Amino acid sequence: MSLLSFTAQPLHLTPLPGISLRIRARDLFWLGFFSALLLAVLVWSAASGSYSLSMAQSWQALVSPETEPKRIVRVLWEFRLPRILAAVLCGAALAIAGVMLQSITRNALASPGLIGVEAGASVTLLICVILLPGLIPVFWLPVGAMAGGFAVAGLIWLLSSARGYSPVRLILVGVGITSMLGAFSEMLITYGDIELVESALMWLGGSLHQVSWEQVQVMTAWLVLAGIPAWLGFRQLNLLRLGDKVALSRGVDNRKVIPWLLLLSVALTSAAVATAGTLTFVGLMAPHMARRFCGDRHGVLIPLAGLMGALLVLLGDTLGRTLLAPLQLPAGLVIVLVGAPYFIVLMSRAR
Amino acid sequence: MSVAITQNPARSSLTAIRLTGIIGLLLLLAVAAFLHLSLGAKSLDWSTIWQALTAYDPQDSDQSIVREIRQSRLIVALVVGAALAVAGVLMQAVSNNPLADPGLLGINSGAAFFVVGGLLMLPGTQHHYLPLYAFAGAAFAAVLVLLLSGRQQSPERLVLAGVAVTALFGAMTAILLIVDQQGLDKLRHWLTGAIGASDLKKLDWVWPYLAAALVLSFFLTRSLNAYHLGERAAASLGVNIRLLKLGSLVLVVVLSGSVVAVAGPIGFVGLVVPHMARLLVRSHYGWLLLYSLLLGALLLVSADLAARIVVRPFEINTGIVTALVGAPVFIALVIGRMK
Repeated sequence: MSLLSFTAQPLHLTPLPGISLRIRARDLFWLGFFSALLLAVLVWSAASGSYSLSMAQSWQALVSPETEPKRIVRVLWEFRLPRILAAVLCGAALAIAGVMLQSITRNALASPGLIGVEAGASVTLLICVILLPGLIPVFWLPVGAMAGGFAVAGLIWLLSSARGYSPVRLILVGVGITSMLGAFSEMLITYGDIELVESALMWLGGSLHQVSWEQVQVMTAWLVLAGIPAWLGFRQLNLLRLGDKVALSRGVDNRKVIPWLLLLSVALTSAAVATAGTLTFVGLMAPHMARRFCGDRHGVLIPLAGLMGALLVLLGDTLGRTLLAPLQLPAGLVIVLVGAPYFIVLMSRAR
Repeated sequence: MSVAITQNPARSSLTAIRLTGIIGLLLLLAVAAFLHLSLGAKSLDWSTIWQALTAYDPQDSDQSIVREIRQSRLIVALVVGAALAVAGVLMQAVSNNPLADPGLLGINSGAAFFVVGGLLMLPGTQHHYLPLYAFAGAAFAAVLVLLLSGRQQSPERLVLAGVAVTALFGAMTAILLIVDQQGLDKLRHWLTGAIGASDLKKLDWVWPYLAAALVLSFFLTRSLNAYHLGERAAASLGVNIRLLKLGSLVLVVVLSGSVVAVAGPIGFVGLVVPHMARLLVRSHYGWLLLYSLLLGALLLVSADLAARIVVRPFEINTGIVTALVGAPVFIALVIGRMK
């Protein structure tokens, strides 16, 4: 009797948080709310620019392009829409990558930009653009960036787990590798041809001004290929977040799971870097903002963080191209201006 | 004096060993300096250098390379290396943090942002104002990082705060340079930490600050030794902790600000050198400062030498070489330090 009640009670009272995918009505509300907000910002972004339209016009041209004048449709579909979609996709990818890294390392301050994955991808791209211009066709550049991102992530993983894995060490080794790669890319920037360097600098700062429909397609493919498995891993992420031992007791071996999760995270990051350059703080901020609305339940957190990341990058890019028009500020730099203070606030709160 | 020796013979022999070490370092430094003068885009033999130094003949083009170009660059490298190393020792001692470095903690990038901003935004900026801008930027960044790292300063937190501050100032510098394209072409060399022959002139603006800061840091020896035992022990030994912290902060700001004004942001020297020095002398801060000063100068002269001869006849920027050498040391420290 007593034994029965003893086993039944804890099961009933303390289900481990988020083992199952339970979506509450509140979660649906926030997901719907931020999707609507993203759509609104998207229409606003499509409307603003050097050839400015009204919100109604841009909505019409997006929904029923046949009825609108050709010129408006052309501006929208050829110039603005790829850029907007790329911003949305990259933001979502980086945010999801950030969620995964933060849960794996159990460190609120981790992000793909801070642990060197972005630096690895961007240095590879710089080498392709400045040192060997024309060697690799533009279409294949993202793959090169991914190779770089994977290589650096692997190196960081090896170095930081050589004496047993520790979350803080992962981040600090990332900081070290980032500054080394930073020195190398500075070398390329200082001695490269000034015109190649200027375009590379725009791109490095996280600029979306030359995005084509092809890149949008590639990015979509990667977001689907790596993002969906990442979402399906919500259970593992929920458990890892609680600690390696808890995870192990529930049948999740961190040594087997973490490399796969890292792989997905790196794939998402590298794809975003290849499309948009370095957007350092997106992968840090978006997960935190999303956590305020749904906590650590990754089944909801991953899509919500994706929406937040998309919003951030889209806002950053739109502000960057409209604030000082005709001058274009790269989205990445605009986001750092918000993201670094945000990081700072986060740090001062985390005791 | 003789009483001290009879009381503690081990101590006097230790002093003798340390003095020998200093002499050895000086010799090494002399060799490195000679190599620095002789190697480069055009290699010169040692007799030419000797003549240029002792009996200078301005008509001889080889001798004028030595005197006009390489000698001034050598002096800048020596001074910059020594200043950064001393700044690193002070930072690591006071923050109790083996990972402290003016570059890693964002102080260099703060100074760089203020210098770029001053040059591009404020019209009528005269060149001797630049060190002042650099000091202001360095102080601003240092205070920001200190505030961020909070009351319980763990080394990891301090480094992360430094990363955030570096990112912030880096982005603002990048935006300034995008807005002003001509500025980019002018400044991109300096921004990666370059030592050039023309920098000797810049040294003219900062040397009084530098010399004062270097001398003053040796006055902190006693307090630093006490502080090494812990904050409470130091307070009970009569050390004014606040004054020590504030004084070191000011010295670090002046030292790294001057370096940025002269040669741009050069990272990792302040991180690596104190650790090298600690391998040689354990924990007496007077010796540690002296060893670090010499080792810093040696390291930077060697880095500058490497920067000039690795891709002859081109040059890499010295800051890039120090980062390529220093970052692996940082990683090794991180891996070794934490279980």
